[in-house]
Amino acid sequence: MTRGVLLFCFDTEHTRYHKILERCVGLIKKNLKSQITVVTNFETYEKLKPLGSVNYKFIEPELGNTLNGRTWNNVDRHMAYELSPYDTTLVMDIDYFCFSDNLAQLFDTDYDFLVPDQAYDLSGRNSFDLRRWSMIPMVWATVLVFKKNQRVRKIFDTVKYIKKNYSYFNEMYRVYARNLRNDYLFAMALQQINGFVGYPKMPFTLATLPPDCEVIKVTDEGLAWRLKDQISYVEGQDVHVLNKEVANV
Amino acid sequence: MDIRELKRQSDLSYNVAVAKRNALEKAHSRQVVAYKGHLFRADPETICLVRTLMSTNGSFFLLDANENPVEIKDADDFLNKLIARNQEALNAYHQMYETFTRKGD
Repeated sequence: MTRGVLLFCFDTEHTRYHKILERCVGLIKKNLKSQITVVTNFETYEKLKPLGSVNYKFIEPELGNTLNGRTWNNVDRHMAYELSPYDTTLVMDIDYFCFSDNLAQLFDTDYDFLVPDQAYDLSGRNSFDLRRWSMIPMVWATVLVFKKNQRVRKIFDTVKYIKKNYSYFNEMYRVYARNLRNDYLFAMALQQINGFVGYPKMPFTLATLPPDCEVIKVTDEGLAWRLKDQISYVEGQDVHVLNKEVANV
Repeated sequence: MDIRELKRQSDLSYNVAVAKRNALEKAHSRQVVAYKGHLFRADPETICLVRTLMSTNGSFFLLDANENPVEIKDADDFLNKLIARNQEALNAYHQMYETFTRKGD
């Protein structure tokens, strides 16, 4: 049984995502000690420094989202099932930094699909509890684990179907999102495929640093950030960094 | 106390509170243990339940973190793993807690 991490990375006009990928890959190798496959395009690949034993799959990314005039290409997650060469795959956003080996043990479960449903605001403001309109429980597709089987293939097929008809499902479940988000796609698909009665989840929260927190230092052990005049840090704890300026740290 | 000292003290208290919350969250995340294909929390409740059940039965059943039943056949092995992970997580939290205490001096 093969297992590995699948990452998606595409540079944009404004953000050098390949710099974030380089850091992410280093942390995965150090802490998860897992095989890695990066889905990217040639334009991004050419800028990457040599990352050692990493597999690459090349695709042309679908046109992504735009926020405040900045685009990002993150709508290809539904292809993870086809693109993954592994029997068990851990899919991660590249801005999720593994400062611990906590995720490694997810390879050792019998669950065929796991995703977290709680995010934790490291700045102490509980700023991720905003989903009060939605009719369905939300998930954070920042990190997900899946095994290849017929049921999981159907989950990804459902994600594709919902993506195709996103505005309809967006209204139906009262998500009211302007952008297409993987979180919503997977939340809707999991709700449908599991008969609207719940499903297994990762039993921990996703430690997340909000976009207004400026990352000022990243080491192999953790990171420090500034929020207004306060400087804080974490060590040995996985962190999802939402401020993309981390590419320049 | 002048206003500058008040702000300094308030900022310090805020920093310590956030750092303590984050360290506790880190400890909770660290307490998740994969065992026999299932996920468990190495929390006091699970540890106490396992210890209680193993004293009366050779093997027993337990609910995992997603409420699925699991048969535990080697209770000693399972309990050792739970305790090790629980103490590893709390030891890290304790070390962080000591730095908070010193900050207040």
